[in-house]
Amino acid sequence: MRIFENPQYKLIEKRKQAYIVSGLLVLASVVSLAVRGVTPGIDFLGGSEFIVETSTPLEVTDIRLQLADELGASPEVKYFGDQTTLLIRTTASGHVSEIENAIIQTISSRNPGSNPRIVKTDSVGPRFADDLKRGAILSVLFALVVIFIYIMVRFEWRFGVGAVVALAHDVIITLGLFSLLQGVVPFSLQIDQAIIAAFLTIVGYSLNDTVVVFDRIREYTSIFKTETFDVVVNRSINGTLSRTIVTSGTTLIVVVVLFLVGGEVLRGFAFALIVGIFVGTYSSVFVAAPVVLELRKRARK
Amino acid sequence: MLQGNGLRVLTVTFFVMMSAYYLYPTLQNYSIQNEIASLEGEERTLYETDNFETIQSARERALKLGLDLQGGMMVVLEVRVDKLVSELAFERDEAFEAVMREAAELVSESTVSFVDAFAQAFDERDSNARLSRYFRNSDRGITRRSSNAEVTAYLKEEAGAAVDRAIEIIRDRIDRFGVTEPSIQKQGTRRIIVELPGVDDPERVRKLLRGTARLEFRLMIEPADMPVFIRAVIDYYDEDPVEDDTTAEVVDGQTDVASSDSATAADDGTFDVTDLIGDDVDLDLPSNKLLEIFRPYGQDVVIGSAFAGDTAAVMKLFNAPPVAALLPRDIEILWTANPISSQGGRDEYFALGVRRTVELSGDVITDASADFDEIDSEPKVSITMNSEGSRTWSRLTGANVGKKVAIVLDNVVYSYPNVNEKIMGGRSEISGLDSFDEAKDIVTILKSGALPAPVDIEAEQTVGPSLGAASVRAGTISLLIGMALVIVFMILYYRTAGIVADLALLLNIVFIFGILAGFHATLTLSGMAGIVLTIGMAVDANVLIFERTREELATGKTLKAAVSGGYANALSAILDANITTFLVAAILYSFGKGPIQGFAVTLMAGIVSSLFTAIFVTRIVFDWMIGGRRMNVSFG
Repeated sequence: MRIFENPQYKLIEKRKQAYIVSGLLVLASVVSLAVRGVTPGIDFLGGSEFIVETSTPLEVTDIRLQLADELGASPEVKYFGDQTTLLIRTTASGHVSEIENAIIQTISSRNPGSNPRIVKTDSVGPRFADDLKRGAILSVLFALVVIFIYIMVRFEWRFGVGAVVALAHDVIITLGLFSLLQGVVPFSLQIDQAIIAAFLTIVGYSLNDTVVVFDRIREYTSIFKTETFDVVVNRSINGTLSRTIVTSGTTLIVVVVLFLVGGEVLRGFAFALIVGIFVGTYSSVFVAAPVVLELRKRARK
Repeated sequence: MLQGNGLRVLTVTFFVMMSAYYLYPTLQNYSIQNEIASLEGEERTLYETDNFETIQSARERALKLGLDLQGGMMVVLEVRVDKLVSELAFERDEAFEAVMREAAELVSESTVSFVDAFAQAFDERDSNARLSRYFRNSDRGITRRSSNAEVTAYLKEEAGAAVDRAIEIIRDRIDRFGVTEPSIQKQGTRRIIVELPGVDDPERVRKLLRGTARLEFRLMIEPADMPVFIRAVIDYYDEDPVEDDTTAEVVDGQTDVASSDSATAADDGTFDVTDLIGDDVDLDLPSNKLLEIFRPYGQDVVIGSAFAGDTAAVMKLFNAPPVAALLPRDIEILWTANPISSQGGRDEYFALGVRRTVELSGDVITDASADFDEIDSEPKVSITMNSEGSRTWSRLTGANVGKKVAIVLDNVVYSYPNVNEKIMGGRSEISGLDSFDEAKDIVTILKSGALPAPVDIEAEQTVGPSLGAASVRAGTISLLIGMALVIVFMILYYRTAGIVADLALLLNIVFIFGILAGFHATLTLSGMAGIVLTIGMAVDANVLIFERTREELATGKTLKAAVSGGYANALSAILDANITTFLVAAILYSFGKGPIQGFAVTLMAGIVSSLFTAIFVTRIVFDWMIGGRRMNVSFG
């Protein structure tokens, strides 16, 4: 079975259109991030999160009001999977035990027969949240630096720039999408440690594609010495297209399975990966390689 | 037949056997657990004793499930080195407190240790000032003449020793608590990470870990002083109804305390305004911030009662300077450890007037045990004191017959029994406990010793067993479905070569689990997600090789040459791509905490194993098929 028999797409010629598309996506993301921002999860903000199972379905808005009285601050209440499981987030201070008791007692007394049970508690104090934040930022920066150096060593500096630009492009767009779709989709899009891990995975994964294309460019540059760089890059992309699509395809299959069947806890994480795969594949072809091309052209002038 | 692949075959077989060896205990453990579950009573105990060693070793070497899959509790404790330093100082002035605040700031912004931050802040404030002004310890050679460096070193030693001692004490408490396979690890200079699988009573654990075990015996407020104080405080918070425009709020309608069955049934002196009015009558009553959340008794040693959620607010009102001045100077307000009643699901606690002086403290205790009282069958803790303690205790009880003595543990009052007579034998009891479990826990805390410095719970995560089991199910199903789909796809797209790749994939999964077991890593939910992800990415190496092979075939080479070419040319791309992902996973591992590390580990294991299977295993199979069997392998 073949998808691309012998692709000869004129991708490099059409790169200006790709720049526009990318530019728009990045712009939209930046705007959304500036205006709506993203919601950090309790990992980075501090606070407590509880998953409460009940015997009868309850109304989210009711619970929110009932708890607001008790906790002093309006908590975030959402469904977690189905209507008999609630996700309650609060930044209320006080010992976790007190908050737990308050939640159970309030829900059970105001909703008879609901029989609430807390099945998961997650609480992060302010000092620990700061630590996690610092860790997340450092890991992302460190990753970018390490990648740049590695690519620079294996290929040359222009390729390094191309790779980093593509990665930045991927992360911004994925973050932008998170910002845009907050509250729109039924699952949580809060930025916590797991999402940072997803971003770094996307970074690593997108790099895979990029490296494969770069590797081919390097090979063809030495084989097709007489051709212009445009042509070489175009041939490289076409040559690796089948592989890129297949690998993205298989990874996409498993991540979609994870999204559908992996449970509510992993849903946001799987979503980030799905978006990342699409954007990452796109950027390897339409961002990384063209950037290298532009830099080469500038050098020739 | 082997075509020069001898070394390769050997390597592969070696790794397969290693994986099998490391994974065997997990399978063993699994079947043993099933066996035990199916047996009951006598048979079960017999089985467990007969096979004790096998069971132990299988469990220890089996693959560990993370807390998010097993259920259990993870707590990040922080030893308050700042409080320790504060206590080590023999004098604390404005300047000292200012430096403490500076240091706290510095610590929150970076990973420097508290003592270093303190020394730095101290130096910045006044480079000529000497730390020896605040810290002395003749036993350790710290005198007025000690240099700042010497004092800093001394503080660091104390802090380090305190953290280590805290770890030992906590380990001891957890051992007594009885958790299978707890994990207690130091992180950084002052954090302790405790993992307790299977624990589903987080409240007990929190108390157990945090309790500093400061046991104190104290006298209480003179009942004669009480009514005056109560009246004064209530009057203070009474608001003038004329000045108030808004309609007064009705005092929360509480049931008459006299009719409840609380042990200290005080049926006089209660200010029960609700007796006179109903809930829904709008009266021009003076509103009173205190009475809204506090029900005063003003009787004996009991100041009043409040609900659990209100105790902090009540304390705030009592601590307001003008009010605090109303209270006799040597008295402070402490709450009962356990609720005195539970109305409509809301727990109520007493506020008691307790003397600040510690008449007797916990270091005189030589033994403690949990029992049931002979008379009322309530759980209690019996404590025995040393001779010095016994003497003090008998003097104390002798001088205060007819009065109440408060038994205070970690700043809450467990009970305040009446002294009926002078007690000679150095024996006492802590009653007023919620359950026998609580008695056991108090014994544990007293026996393991007082923590050298207070310990805060910085973060925690508790997962109930049902959620854990659901996660395991979801993870396993994702794994199976994902694998099935990828396998089918590979066969459709690459035909026979696809089948070979699928075999490699299956072997991959075995290797990943083997690596995890071999390194005693823990499998978490994110770890399973990592494995699922690896399935998708693992085929990548094979895809690179197969695509390349197709290209080689298209140029007209023989099957054998094309396969060779495919492997050779794809290698650099495979290595580059996988190494970069590996580096990113390694970075994730070092900066992440908890489940993220589980994810990073499975990713790294997956990359290593997929590289291995793609380069070695599939090559061996192809060589055998093409060279040995002369099959016409289709690459799609």
